[in-house]
Amino acid sequence: MNHTSSRLLEETPNAIACRLIQKAHNQDGLPEIAIGLILLTAAALQWLQVAFPVGSPEYKVAPLGLGILVPALILGSQWAIKTVRGKFLIERFGYVEYKPVNRKRFWAAFGVAFLVAFAMAFAIAAKSLPPASWLLATAGISGGILAVMAGRLPRFVIGGVLMAATGIFLVLIRVPLGTGFTILFGSMGLLSLVSGCVVFLLFMRKPAAAGE
Amino acid sequence: MSAKIQRLAEIDRIIHEPARLMIVALLAAVVEADFQYLRQTTGLTQGNLSAHLSKLEEAGYVAIEKTFRGKYPLTVCRLTERGKAVLEGYRKIIRAAL
Repeated sequence: MNHTSSRLLEETPNAIACRLIQKAHNQDGLPEIAIGLILLTAAALQWLQVAFPVGSPEYKVAPLGLGILVPALILGSQWAIKTVRGKFLIERFGYVEYKPVNRKRFWAAFGVAFLVAFAMAFAIAAKSLPPASWLLATAGISGGILAVMAGRLPRFVIGGVLMAATGIFLVLIRVPLGTGFTILFGSMGLLSLVSGCVVFLLFMRKPAAAGE
Repeated sequence: MSAKIQRLAEIDRIIHEPARLMIVALLAAVVEADFQYLRQTTGLTQGNLSAHLSKLEEAGYVAIEKTFRGKYPLTVCRLTERGKAVLEGYRKIIRAAL
């Protein structure tokens, strides 16, 4: 508490709230489990394009899955986490009703994602994709930065650094693009899933406090 | 500059206390939260949190409602309009002084 008190004096009330809410959000490991499952799904879909010949049904299913299933899982996971906490973990996690998502920020993020997807689709159609090394390194480093910013806890920093390092390592060993993304998503998905499960088990071992 | 620093004397002492500032800041960032969530998030003990919430309720900054979610009893806390206004005033004074 002393440490917390001294930190409080250096932060604005908004920063205090954001830090505490973010820490609480990740305390049961459920967000990491969800991210792990999403990344493993993306890796499996990416693998279909590596393992099956161009034009095969499996090959054709992969981009559809990446374009529809993965975004649906991202949106659905928020609802799933809230439901699990509300129904099964309320005695341990407590009850909280978050403020609705800031619409300006949501549409800004949606706009950026749409522009990136459009640029990628255009590059694929024009057969002018940047070199595989550039794409893999960018994905690894930006994914790593996102992980650090989203979690701000030591385990997220380690995960972020590992993701960036994996991206760079895959560039150095010159793996093809599809294989590289399969390895990147697969390894990070597995790491996130295992770390989330460990945190979840530790969280469940803590005795639930009696309500007020 | 000195006038801005002198305004520090007007600061609300109820929410200036670190534990209560933490509670108020948290409640300002969410719609509502229960006792257990606040306890987990702030790291305060049950007795400590209870005492601070009582002070905030007495001052009219926090509204507390006892309810149920299924069979689980909930003590739901929410920042009142007065609490929001006091926090905003606190924020302005601190920002100006620092």
